[in-house]
Amino acid sequence: MTMAHETDVPGVLSDLRVLDLTRPIGHYAGRLLADLGADVVKVEPVDGDPARRWAPLLPDVPAPEASVSFVLLNANKRGIALDLEDERGRALLLRLLATADVLLESWTPAERARLHLTDEILRHARPDLIHASVTGWGTSGPYAEWAYADIVANAMSGVMTLAGFVDGPPEQLPDHQGHHAVSINAAAGVLAALLHRDATGAGQVVEASMLESLLMAEETAMQQADILGTDRARTGGQGALGFKMPGLGIYKTTDGHAYAMCTGNAGSGFPGLVQLIRTLDGASPLDDEPYASFIATSMNTAQITLLMADPARAPQVRDLLAEIEAEVVAFFARHPKETVYVRGQELRVLVGAVNGPRDILASRQLAARAWWREIEDPLRGHLRYPGFPWALAGTPASLRRPAPRLGEHTDEILGEAGLGAGERTLLRAAGVIGGAW
Amino acid sequence: MSNRPRALDGLKVLDLTWFGAGPIATRALANMGADVIRVETAKRPDGLRVVGPRPPGNPSLNVGGYYNNFNAEKRSITIDLTTERGHDLGLDLVRWADVMMTNMTMRAVRQIGMTWEAVQAANPRIVAMYQPMQGLTGPHTEFVGFGAVLSAVCGVNGLAGFDGAPPIGVGTNYPDYVVNPMHAVIALLAAVRHQRKTGQGQLIDMSQLESSVAALSTPVFAEANGAGYPRQGNRVPYAAPHGAYRTGEAGDRADRWLVLACLEEDQWQATASTMGHAEWTTDTRFRSVASRKANEDALDALVAGWAEKQHGQTALTALQAAGVPAGLVLWASEVLADPHLKGRPYYAYLDHSEAGLRAYDGPPVRLSATPVEIRRAAPLIGEHTMEIATGILGLSADEAAALIAEQVLH
Repeated sequence: MTMAHETDVPGVLSDLRVLDLTRPIGHYAGRLLADLGADVVKVEPVDGDPARRWAPLLPDVPAPEASVSFVLLNANKRGIALDLEDERGRALLLRLLATADVLLESWTPAERARLHLTDEILRHARPDLIHASVTGWGTSGPYAEWAYADIVANAMSGVMTLAGFVDGPPEQLPDHQGHHAVSINAAAGVLAALLHRDATGAGQVVEASMLESLLMAEETAMQQADILGTDRARTGGQGALGFKMPGLGIYKTTDGHAYAMCTGNAGSGFPGLVQLIRTLDGASPLDDEPYASFIATSMNTAQITLLMADPARAPQVRDLLAEIEAEVVAFFARHPKETVYVRGQELRVLVGAVNGPRDILASRQLAARAWWREIEDPLRGHLRYPGFPWALAGTPASLRRPAPRLGEHTDEILGEAGLGAGERTLLRAAGVIGGAW
Repeated sequence: MSNRPRALDGLKVLDLTWFGAGPIATRALANMGADVIRVETAKRPDGLRVVGPRPPGNPSLNVGGYYNNFNAEKRSITIDLTTERGHDLGLDLVRWADVMMTNMTMRAVRQIGMTWEAVQAANPRIVAMYQPMQGLTGPHTEFVGFGAVLSAVCGVNGLAGFDGAPPIGVGTNYPDYVVNPMHAVIALLAAVRHQRKTGQGQLIDMSQLESSVAALSTPVFAEANGAGYPRQGNRVPYAAPHGAYRTGEAGDRADRWLVLACLEEDQWQATASTMGHAEWTTDTRFRSVASRKANEDALDALVAGWAEKQHGQTALTALQAAGVPAGLVLWASEVLADPHLKGRPYYAYLDHSEAGLRAYDGPPVRLSATPVEIRRAAPLIGEHTMEIATGILGLSADEAAALIAEQVLH
């Protein structure tokens, strides 16, 4: 297998110009298109995108250039600062739009109406425009004008009620999964619309909703409600079995936690876990009776569920499970998470280390695959970025430029659009454009 | 539902995926118009065909809601690819296809003889995506697991939840459902564009670990570059109040929570006014984002104290009327009945010959001219075997029947 080097070949979207007006909800959509080679021009308000003010901040970097979220999700983009509340700013936007293939934005219908940027006006500027809307609720329906936030989509999608402890609050997904999900879906929609435009010359509107983008993440809850008429509730990681299945769930290790899923037919199952215990500890009490024959014949979720449903056998099985679980708990508590993970996986045991960001940064696998990307940012220093979600062997993604400073490319981009230095000076003095670099 | 043209009409997809992350990706392609042929085997059916939710007491492989939701509008052929004749038929489908995708382990891919080398030899212009847990190279390339194991390894468990609590995760195999399938769709469509322009296929090596970490990137990027990002619970580092607050039980479900997020100063002021406590905004502890973050426990206690005296829906309506991002933590049955989702509409209701009229998740994204729509329910296992054998594989009905008798086809 030969991999093209990412700086030697143009990306699949290198012929594409994208105007990215999104709020933070859509930043990742533009980033994904940029990673595939598109020239993404980020259009910000003159006082900057809201995410520029978001903590946490990179150390020793001046405002408004230090936001971790902003610097991460706007890399690979050029930036222009433009006041769209001003008619002259909107005229400049339409001028830029004439040179653009894709518009990404996050307007509610009312915001868009206020800006007078109707479909007709946008299409007049660029007849084959692919216009992608990335919003919290979508642009139709009773909540279209409601305020949105990532946690609100977590809540209203039903995803949040599945996460957390039985007696605790529902919990949001970590790190803005609503923003990520709707951005990923929007980028996928842009690609599909682009294939259609390539074939027919026609543009269209792409619309992604954060609420809808999270609904697939309800897992089986929607079908359970539809088919059985019952609502799945959060279980604190205990699953829906109603009893503690040994070898399934989170276990404490010497240095943190590991997750095990050794109760099905996948991998080496529970016997594989016993083999892991034997391998790391030399011997296991689970190789003795009464455990050994029970494990050999019954130790998977389907079989145990049947046994537990039999009132005559359930008490005895419950005791046996508790004793086996105690051995499993004690085993994990004796070892570091990376050891049980790597040695377990070598035996095809379905086990994983519960990793935090520091563990992920130290991952041997990610290092061996040269996944991380490094970039020299003149203002922010040497930055290490997570790599791409995929490796396209023929047309790889690339990280080509750091996130723009506020208005960094205003002059460059307006100059490309034929706007002279004199006009730019006047517009800048009037506060219609920002950034003087 | 319409019969309007769709963006991927004419695209031929050979679907060798199973479980979640793969099938959801190919379902999205099908709903954009692609002809997606799902190859299955009755010898080892997709695990999701076996589990629930399903009508009680009905063990059929065709009635599980989990499988059916992820496979709507595909065609299903059952081939035993581990037999020589079956493998030949599989390669015929490779020759037919523009795109092939699998999320099996590489061990399983080798067992069915569908490695990149074999696939590329049969069809040099194919786009082939392999989506194993940790990618096609590296010391962990053979590691196994489902989304639950991946959730631990990629950081979902470690990052979700409240500081000090055990890392139980988010109650689902989260990366399987949006991040990994829809990242995959982006790469597949990009590669199809290149294929159409140049006639060249390519290999896409998609590590589910990398794709998942790419969507947990803020804490990882923070940690990599000298900024911390601890577990947040229901908070965010840059705004407060931001969380879930239990509301009163009168006239509502017992377990009812209101969420709200004051991302801007005006939203905080509107929140305090709506709660009848405008004085909170002039309290020195709560005057700025920085001070609210520094005193967030005290702030959350005040908001929680207000919320527990409220009826959830009434509080939500009042807060949204004031422009505050707020919502209720809904249960799945409430999501299905939600007036906004009905008004859009989102869910598709499709009739299935065994499962009946059932709800399916709607389109992940909408396209105005070339709609993304779910036009058929999920296939029965092997439902289209004869149709594909005679229509694509060029077998006569007798040949196909003979192969069925030999259990190469089912």
